[in-house]
Amino acid sequence: MSLLAAHDVVVAYGGVRAVNGVSLELAAGESLGLIGPNGAGKSSFLAALGGQVRLTAGSIALDGEEVGGMPPYKRARRGITRTFQMTSEFAKMTAFENLVTAGHGAEGASLRNVVVRRRRTRAAERAVAARAWSVLDRFEMAHVADLYGAELSGGQRRLVEIMRCLMREPKVLLLDEPMVGVAPHLVDKLLADLRSIRDDGIALVIVEHALEVVQELCERVVVMALGRPIAAGTFDEVVSEPEVQAAYVG
Amino acid sequence: MTAWSYYIATLTVYFGVNVLSALSLNLQFGFAGVVNFGYILFQAVGAYIAAVVVLGPSSAFQQYVFGARLPFGVALLLATLAGAVLSLLIGLFSLRNIRRDYQAAILLIISLMATQVVQGYVPLFNGSNGVTGVPRPLSSVPLSLQGYQWAYAGWVLLVAALAYALVTWLSRSPWGRALRALRDQEDAAAAIGLNVTALRLQVFVIGGALAGLSGGLLVEYIGAWSPDAWGYAETFVIFTALFVGGIGNYRGAVLGVLLVPIIFLELPRFLPQVGYPGLMDSMEWIAIGAIWMLCLYIRPQGIVPERRNRAARTAAADARPARESVEVA
Repeated sequence: MSLLAAHDVVVAYGGVRAVNGVSLELAAGESLGLIGPNGAGKSSFLAALGGQVRLTAGSIALDGEEVGGMPPYKRARRGITRTFQMTSEFAKMTAFENLVTAGHGAEGASLRNVVVRRRRTRAAERAVAARAWSVLDRFEMAHVADLYGAELSGGQRRLVEIMRCLMREPKVLLLDEPMVGVAPHLVDKLLADLRSIRDDGIALVIVEHALEVVQELCERVVVMALGRPIAAGTFDEVVSEPEVQAAYVG
Repeated sequence: MTAWSYYIATLTVYFGVNVLSALSLNLQFGFAGVVNFGYILFQAVGAYIAAVVVLGPSSAFQQYVFGARLPFGVALLLATLAGAVLSLLIGLFSLRNIRRDYQAAILLIISLMATQVVQGYVPLFNGSNGVTGVPRPLSSVPLSLQGYQWAYAGWVLLVAALAYALVTWLSRSPWGRALRALRDQEDAAAAIGLNVTALRLQVFVIGGALAGLSGGLLVEYIGAWSPDAWGYAETFVIFTALFVGGIGNYRGAVLGVLLVPIIFLELPRFLPQVGYPGLMDSMEWIAIGAIWMLCLYIRPQGIVPERRNRAARTAAADARPARESVEVA
C-alpha cells in the first residue's frame, strides 16, 4: 500500500479548474517532482494535498486513511506538512521558537494541557526543546537559534521552515519552490539536506521551477499543464516528451 | 483636598479598568493577531449585566432584563461570564476562516449594530437613557466616601494585577507561543498542526471575559451605564494605548494606558478652554487618531517592544546542558 494516494483530484476556483483530475501515489522515502509552466496547477495541487484548498472532487489517502476532507492541522497531525512558496517563518519568533511551536503532539500546546496538565506539559516542553536543538545541530543552524525569523537570510528562512516541518516528524513533506530566495552557493547545501530528509524515509513532493534541482533530487517527475498531468516518469524521460517540450516552449 | 482625592481615586479606577482592557486587547491582538474592533461591546455587556443583577427588578423608572439583587461579587462573575459567552457567540461566526481585515470589519459593524439595538429597544437595557442608580458595593461596610473610593480603587488595581499575572503566564506558555505563530503566519501555523480556529476562539473568549469584568468593575463604581459610555471610539483609545506602549508586551500595554487614556486624555482638563464648548473634546479624538498614525510611522513596535525569548534562558533549553551558554547574535 502506498503512503500517499491521490485520486482524480479536482480543485476549482469558481468556473476555473486549476487542478483537473490528478492522481498519484507515493511511497515512504520517495521524492516526486511536480513541474510545469506557470498556471499549470502545481501549487494548487500541493495545496489540495496539504488542505489549504478544498477538494472539488477526488480523494486523498494517507496510510489508507482518507484525509481529503480534513483541515490542514489535522493532516499535519497525521503526517502531511508543508512549506510555502513565499517563506512562512514566524517573523517575530526566534528560530528556536519557530521549531518548538511545531514540536508538540496532537494535543500538546492546547490551553487545556497548559492549565490542567501542567506537569505533563512541562515534560513535553523539555523533550521538544531537546529535539529542537538536535534538529538545529543537524542542519548547522544552532548559531541562529535566537534570531527572529525576520532577521534570517532567505536560505536560512527556508531551512527554518523545513526544520519546523521536521519537528512534526512528518511522513510526507510538501515543498513549494524550496529554492526561491536561496543564495546560489547555498543551493547545494539545501539539496543535500533535502536528500538526507528523504533518506530518513520521509516522502517529498516538490514543486520547483529550477529543473536542475528536480533532476538532482527526484526519482519521479510529473509534468502538469492546464491542471492535468501530461507526462510522468524519470526526469530524463519526461523532458524528452514532445508534449512536455510543447507545454514549456508554447 | 476632597475633590482632588475623589479625582485621583476615580482616575485610579479608570486606570485599572483600562489596564484590564489593554491586557485583553493585547492578548487578542498583540499575541494572536485578532483585530477586535468591537472590543467595547464586550465591556458594555459586562457593565450592563453587572448593573441589572444588582439593581433589583425592572421598574417604571427604568426597564431592563434580568433584574435581580445579587451580591456584587456574583455580579462581577456574571459580568465576566457575559463577556465570555457573548465573545463565544460572536466569535463562532465572525472568526471563521476569513481574512483578518474582514474579521475586524465584522467586529466593528457588530459593535455599531449593538449600540443601535440597545438604544432602540428600551426593554433590554433602558435604551438611550441607560441604567442608573447602581448601588455601591459593600455599602454596609463603615467607610467614609473618600475611604470607600480609595478602597474600591485598590480593589480594581488588585484585580488588574491578578489579570496581568494571568495573561502573562498564559502568553509565556506553549499555548501563548502557538498564538504568536497564528499571529505571524496563520497558514503555516495550521500546516504544522495548530488548530488556528480554536486558538483564535479561545483567545477571543478569554479577552471577552476580561472585557466583561472590566465593565462590571467600572459600572459598580460610577453607578450608571448608557450607550454614550461605549462609543466605538473608546476601542480605538485602547488600541492607541497599545501602539504607544508596545504591542505584544504587557508592561508596554500598562504604560500605554498611563500615557494615553489617563495622562493624554486628562491633560486638557487643566488647560484653558479655547474655542466653543466641546471643541477641545473633539480635538482629543482627532489627536488620538494622529498619535496612532504617528506611532505607526515613527516607532511601530511601541515604547516597550515585544520581548525576545532567548532560547538559552528558557527552562526548556535546560534539557540540553551542553548549550547553556549559547551566544546570542
